[in-house]
Amino acid sequence: MKKYAYFPGCSLEKMAISYHDSALETTRALGVELEELEDWNCCGATTYFHLDEILANTLVARNLAMAEKQGLDLVAPCSACYKNAYFTNAYIQEDEDLAEHINYALEADDLQLSGDLSVHHLIEIFVNDVGVEEVKNKVTRPLEGIKIVPYYGCQIVRPRKDGENIEDPQFFEELLTAMGAEAVDFANKTRCCGGSLLISNRRAALDMIRILLQNAENSGADVIATACPLCQVNLECYQAQVNDEFGTNYAMPVMYFTQILGLALGIPRKKLRIGSELVSAIPVLSKYLKKEVS
Amino acid sequence: MSEKKHPDNKERVGVYVCHCGTNISKVVDVEEVARWAGEQPNVEVSRDYKFMCSSLGQELIEQDIKEKGLTRVVCASCSPHMHEKTFRTACERGGLNPFLFEMTNIREHDSWITDDKEAATIKAKSLVRGSIDRVVHHEPLDQIPVEINPNTLVVGGGIAGITSALELADAGYHVYLVEREPSIGGHMAQLDKTFPTLDCSACILTPKMVDVGQHDNITLLTWSEVEQVDGFLGNFTITVRKKARYVNEEHCTGCGICIEKCPFNVVDDIFEAGMGTRKVIYRPFPQAVPKYPVIDKENCVYFQKGKCKACEIFCPTEPNSIDFEQEDEILQIEVGNIILATGYDLFDVKRIPQYGYGKLENVFTSLEFERMVNAAGPTDGKIVLRDQETKPKSVAIVHCVGSRDENYHKYCSKVCCMYSLKFAHLVHERIPDAEIYDCYIDMRTPGKGYEEFYNRLLEEGTHFIRGKVAEITDAARIPEEEGKLIVQVEDTLIGRQRRVPVDMVILSPAMEAREGSKEVSQLFKMGCDFDGFFIERHPKLDPVATMTDGILIAGACQGPKDVPESVSQGAAAAARVAGLISRGTVMMEPVRASIDQDACSGCRICNNMCPYNAIIFHEEENVSEVITALCQGCGTCVAACPSSVITGAHFTNDQLLSQIEGILWDMRPEKVTA
Amino acid sequence: MADKLTFSREISNLMYAGHGSPLNQCIQCGTCSGTCPAVEFMDQTPRRLIGMINADLKDAVLNTNTYWVCASCYHCTVRCPAKIDIAGAMYAVKRYSIWFKTYSDDLVGPVFSETFMKTIARNGRSYEPILATSYIFGFGAKEFFKEVQGATKMMLKGRIPVLPSRIKRLKNFQSMIQHIIPVGEEE
Repeated sequence: MKKYAYFPGCSLEKMAISYHDSALETTRALGVELEELEDWNCCGATTYFHLDEILANTLVARNLAMAEKQGLDLVAPCSACYKNAYFTNAYIQEDEDLAEHINYALEADDLQLSGDLSVHHLIEIFVNDVGVEEVKNKVTRPLEGIKIVPYYGCQIVRPRKDGENIEDPQFFEELLTAMGAEAVDFANKTRCCGGSLLISNRRAALDMIRILLQNAENSGADVIATACPLCQVNLECYQAQVNDEFGTNYAMPVMYFTQILGLALGIPRKKLRIGSELVSAIPVLSKYLKKEVS
Repeated sequence: MSEKKHPDNKERVGVYVCHCGTNISKVVDVEEVARWAGEQPNVEVSRDYKFMCSSLGQELIEQDIKEKGLTRVVCASCSPHMHEKTFRTACERGGLNPFLFEMTNIREHDSWITDDKEAATIKAKSLVRGSIDRVVHHEPLDQIPVEINPNTLVVGGGIAGITSALELADAGYHVYLVEREPSIGGHMAQLDKTFPTLDCSACILTPKMVDVGQHDNITLLTWSEVEQVDGFLGNFTITVRKKARYVNEEHCTGCGICIEKCPFNVVDDIFEAGMGTRKVIYRPFPQAVPKYPVIDKENCVYFQKGKCKACEIFCPTEPNSIDFEQEDEILQIEVGNIILATGYDLFDVKRIPQYGYGKLENVFTSLEFERMVNAAGPTDGKIVLRDQETKPKSVAIVHCVGSRDENYHKYCSKVCCMYSLKFAHLVHERIPDAEIYDCYIDMRTPGKGYEEFYNRLLEEGTHFIRGKVAEITDAARIPEEEGKLIVQVEDTLIGRQRRVPVDMVILSPAMEAREGSKEVSQLFKMGCDFDGFFIERHPKLDPVATMTDGILIAGACQGPKDVPESVSQGAAAAARVAGLISRGTVMMEPVRASIDQDACSGCRICNNMCPYNAIIFHEEENVSEVITALCQGCGTCVAACPSSVITGAHFTNDQLLSQIEGILWDMRPEKVTA
Repeated sequence: MADKLTFSREISNLMYAGHGSPLNQCIQCGTCSGTCPAVEFMDQTPRRLIGMINADLKDAVLNTNTYWVCASCYHCTVRCPAKIDIAGAMYAVKRYSIWFKTYSDDLVGPVFSETFMKTIARNGRSYEPILATSYIFGFGAKEFFKEVQGATKMMLKGRIPVLPSRIKRLKNFQSMIQHIIPVGEEE
């Protein structure tokens, strides 16, 4: 059983608790152990980078150093956390000066970081480690007949990592297909949801959400799958405000890919917290849930 | 405390330090270097001078040789590439063997690479001392005359290769023209019109193709590839694989009945750029030279399943021209010079997924559009969408696809602005009411009549948008965008993001080096750059030669070029070759290896290492010998010999070790303690 | 003369771990602005902002909202044909603006950033409700209402924590932050 240090990030504590629970359920079902990082701290999201780059990297580095201490590779379910962890880890290896600064600060907490570990997004665990074929073998409730948007968002694929198709990635589609679902060809799959703007520029954020919802509806999707708590909250919780602002009428369920995967793996919906969404996914999922007594 | 044992103190060295205007002297203290050099062992005279390459500078050397009895000369100036010949000749005029001269590069290797005057001066001294210590070990040598075989190999039958071949053939010299496709013509044969004059590409190209096909001095080898290159300037031996055509060229009349009767069609990815089909036995296009068809073995039903033979059945010649038993032929050709004109590939637009090619069906490449607008092409010249019937009402043309982009090719591909303008014109001409949007970063139209052509398009009403296209999508946001391709771009002259809905998009991809150009450059033992383009000997003054004598380049294999430029370079390469042929012999550097026969252990390690096959082995004496006429002085065997009994003339161990010790003059132990 | 600290130089210096090309390699092609999903809401496009930085138009640059509207999605960065880290440059201008307090007080972005930072310095983790109240005044009353509505709905579904969670080794954590920057000392 492959084991990872799991860094849930602040959002998964409560706001995205359904992501947290479904992540643990699905990894367990597929033989992956996630050991929550002991005493992790906020990675600073995008906001700390507004203030100081070294400090922001230091926050990230503390979590990396703790994973390194545990001798495990790090997994983050939140794309923003993942991006921060991935790049701080890379910078530490490339830039001795930065490493020295950061390690000086880490001494305050008895930690050191060499950058020897690798950093993964949760979805990569299923795609690369478990493997799409294995996922397919474990599916007990194939999601036939449902059309799902594979919404990558921005920070899983960006900034650049060598050798990856960052403009037209395919791994999310492959994962959805393995579950028996139909992955919608979604033109805006890596377009930003406006997540970090909701506070600073609400109208811009709502407009960005609107464009994604419009694209999802036009492509005939039943549900949007995300791999990031920020994307999920933006696309789902702000739908009502988008409708208000633009006079639209969207009612598109937005789910974590782990919830959908859990469903396909036959995990009871309560354990996946399906039903805690503001735009209920139950209607589009009802045919798969029939056998479940809730 | 003796200086390291110098063979004799009899040599009298003259040292000349050049200012090169201020190129050297603004960083290196040339007076100091000259003064210091005067104090070094064996130096008889030492001077600095404004321009050593000037007549007066050269005369200085000549006079000193005569008056001061110099036996060796060192010149510290620019690169030997520039002026080694100049100074060697000066030595010769002064009565000194030209190989008793040594050049030190204190410009490219010193003054041009630093602002630190002190360090530069120290380095100059070290380099000069190295040369002084080396030159005393020089030996007089004589240049080796090499005969030039008057035949020439031209590789590649595009417009550049065709031009080279015809120029040489018309001058009376024999040419072997090798082309890997079934016909010559290259990319130009695929084009409809040529900018800026809009003459029909085929109309100006086919007469030249016919000339090539009929010329007595040209041996045309199509459907053939060079497999091996041996030898050197004047005496190359080329191995060519002539692939089986399965058509006997002696009997075939080119009547084309076999093509007509062949029951199988396949998509033509090469000539028609995937826009049209061809038969399995085919000629790429009607005016193909030579006229003989070729069977595409992979797709031939007879070859795959053993049945059909329609071509053979209907072939009217006697004896039958179809020959399923034909095999590849290996030919050996002797030539004196080689001109490479291997052309270019187009950038694969699928590498930029955000432009949607392959996913959004009405996104086309330039070559697809060329075939489409060609009257002889798959749509008979009609501009239509992929459905083969709908005329687009709006067309966007995207410049710089894969060029001027550090993610793909950094260079400007040079021809795309002009051919994009040509496309805009052709759409205006064929669909007068179509709206045309041309998205460019910078409009680059340097060339005779080129800017005028741009003006013409402005008058024709093309909508020019200055901005690199960010993405092409079919995700509509407003009703006007529905069912359209939306080109998203910042109109940088306005400073706003625009979404332009159109029916058709044409991508203008960069010209890039041919796939496998690195292997080709290795085959011919010459260089190619990071992008895969072949490297010229000098970017300004010698754009047709390469660093390898006897191998020349022409056309887009050197870098993106349009037709006029390819033609100029093809002709220039031919002129260079013709000059060498008419001279008959050239003098080669006497830098050659030789084996001390008495000391050779006969281990034969050097035999297989020689890239020129210049080393033979005498079984009975059990020794190896270098054939001087074949040796190119590369030094591989010298380094490889475990007994150290191979010597490279002008690069002897004495010479090299003395030079190294000279450069490190201030690092010697006795200096440190002193 | 090369030593003079121009505005463009200062901004470049703030891109510490920036791995892109220098800003002056910009060819003004507009790929960034053609790509940007938030460009409609910027008063200058990202391309123009880069141009203005390169022209050392400090006040004009700081007066735009462009860098606060940037959502840090890095789409411009990965597409830039000159390999400039444009999103990184936006961060650099944000930092400049915060450090020199050049932003106006009614701008939500920087106020939020500061609050966010303080929350983390205090708790080690971020906490949405505290953040919400401090930046919410940036919105009008209607938006405030909506925000609360949304938050309440989420809380009803058990999705907003009632109290902020704190990390255990908070003292060490705060000391670690002070190794880099003496934040929170004035409190």
